[in-house]
Amino acid sequence: MGALMRDDKTTSANDPMQPTAPPTAGEAAQVASKRSGKSRTLWSDATRRLRRNRLAMIGLAWIFIIVVIALSADLWAPQWLGSPSEFDSTTMGELKHLPPSAEHPFGTDKRGLDVASRIVYGSRYSLAVGIIATSIALSIGLVMGTLAAYYGGFIDSLVMRLADVFLAFPYILFAIALIAVLGRGFVNLFIAIGVLAWPTIARVVRSSILSVKENEYVDAARALGASDIRIMLRHMLPNAMAPIIVYGTMSIGGAILSEAALSFLGLGVQFPDPSWGHMLSEARGEMISYPWLMIFPGAAILTTVLAFVLLGDGLRDALDVKMKD
Amino acid sequence: MALLQVNDLRTHFFTRDGLVKAVDGVTFSLDKGETLGVVGESGSGKSVTAMSIMRLTPDPPGKVVGGEVLYKGADILTMSAAEVRDLRGNRISMVFQDPMTSLNPVYRVGEQIGEAIRIHKKATKREAFERAVELLDLVGIPNPRSRAKDFPHQFSGGMRQRAMIAMALACDPDILIADEPTTALDVTIQAQILELMMSLQERTGAAIIMITHDLGIVADMADRMLVLYAGRPVEYGTAREVFYSPLHPYTWGLLESLPRQDIEGKGELHPIKGQPPSLIDVPTGCSFHPRCPYATAICSAELPETRIIEDGHSVACHFAGEAGFTRGNAVKTKGVV
Repeated sequence: MGALMRDDKTTSANDPMQPTAPPTAGEAAQVASKRSGKSRTLWSDATRRLRRNRLAMIGLAWIFIIVVIALSADLWAPQWLGSPSEFDSTTMGELKHLPPSAEHPFGTDKRGLDVASRIVYGSRYSLAVGIIATSIALSIGLVMGTLAAYYGGFIDSLVMRLADVFLAFPYILFAIALIAVLGRGFVNLFIAIGVLAWPTIARVVRSSILSVKENEYVDAARALGASDIRIMLRHMLPNAMAPIIVYGTMSIGGAILSEAALSFLGLGVQFPDPSWGHMLSEARGEMISYPWLMIFPGAAILTTVLAFVLLGDGLRDALDVKMKD
Repeated sequence: MALLQVNDLRTHFFTRDGLVKAVDGVTFSLDKGETLGVVGESGSGKSVTAMSIMRLTPDPPGKVVGGEVLYKGADILTMSAAEVRDLRGNRISMVFQDPMTSLNPVYRVGEQIGEAIRIHKKATKREAFERAVELLDLVGIPNPRSRAKDFPHQFSGGMRQRAMIAMALACDPDILIADEPTTALDVTIQAQILELMMSLQERTGAAIIMITHDLGIVADMADRMLVLYAGRPVEYGTAREVFYSPLHPYTWGLLESLPRQDIEGKGELHPIKGQPPSLIDVPTGCSFHPRCPYATAICSAELPETRIIEDGHSVACHFAGEAGFTRGNAVKTKGVV
């Protein structure tokens, strides 16, 4: 054995006098070939594949733009476009229902407020609802789905039947009922959307964990004396993350849509707070005469949701280890 | 006191199709520094025996329904979950069959090798990494410091199995269970891994349970041998006795189906005819009787008791120990089914 080990070492010493690895050990040959290549991980592979996906990059760019707009709105929007929510009833008559122009690029609404300014500020609500509601759904869904898949049996049935109950109600009706119980308001809107989205996430997590569970490295971890929690957190979840990331990204778009729908129904964000859904709702009666009231908020919702879906789609391809370039 | 004493271990699986007695009455003992070879065909209960010792059988459907597994006198089967976790990877560790799937693809090799030390010795990340580098060096991985930072997919099969062995040795275990550690490897690498295990055993004094379906592998390594058939032990003894004076017709069959270059003859292989039985529908009496060329009426009627023929050599056959019933001499009773 001693001789064998020494053998391995000599091949690895990167001896310049010895350009080819001796054929004694198949392993040693691979050492030589692999050492030269740069160390690549799953994630760097994925980033590279994502960068090559044009649609996903467009989505990512759009999300980036929206985020920058939302964060920097206070610096430029009021000066340029005017306040999104404060209006002067004396000048309202002159300012209302102005068509798009240089001064008001997206026109003005019935209160004389600048539509562009409201859309800019509305992006804050949309992004917040998308991210916070999805985080709520993810935290519940991750815990539930992981427990169900890991323990199986009774716990699995219990969690999944609970999820089925949630999914059995029409989504919007359930949301309306929840908000009716919790009371209207911004935070309650987050909670309602997040809580209602957990069952689908839990299902994705569960199926993903189930597929990882059968891997031998999970048995190996157990044989090392790892506890259940450690196996779940360290060995299963990181390997099950890809579909969860994909689904999570897409459900940000879904949550933005839900917010728009609920605000449209008057259950979400209320005037004077700007929200894309609420703007659509107010434009309902005037859309024939003043189409810009509907077109611009509608386009904002469409493009933002689409951006998240495209990014999610790109991530699915990028994180799929079976996709070789 | 033996380091590990397994008495009448019974692990059954309660499946939808019926009761599967995967391990049914396995008994053996293992001393410090010793190697036990466990051999048998697929489905003979080798792996389940190993899993049961570490309490790793999937439950449900598996359940250890009887027997005891005494590690230094303490029964593992009645320990609390926390006590068992304390043994796993620490005092008793395991090397799995397929090194390609036994390493977690998202962690660096060094991190995984250090995991057992982090779990059991509460070591810091840095200490664990240093130990991992040491272990990689010990198992003959060149450039251990930089290789420890590699991901498993950057390792070849043989290197991964070396890494798995390093992982199993991290806490200086008393017992190393190797479940077909070389089955998934090239023949050339197989020999290297086996030699590595032997040299490490000399160095660390760990006892090894070597599970394999390949008698050739354990021939050099094992001090004792346990032959399993359909979940039951058919022969148990020192390697010398089992190889040179085997007593059970199944062991004879195994030895005859082994390609050998050191004996005369036409070089023909003599496979054991028939198939291993389905464990749901195990034959009555001696479970080997449908395939046994020496079977008589009693074999299908009664389960043979395990007889101790000599000190430390036991066998479960109705005729074992009878004069004339030896390998090559026994009279065939019928054509085999």
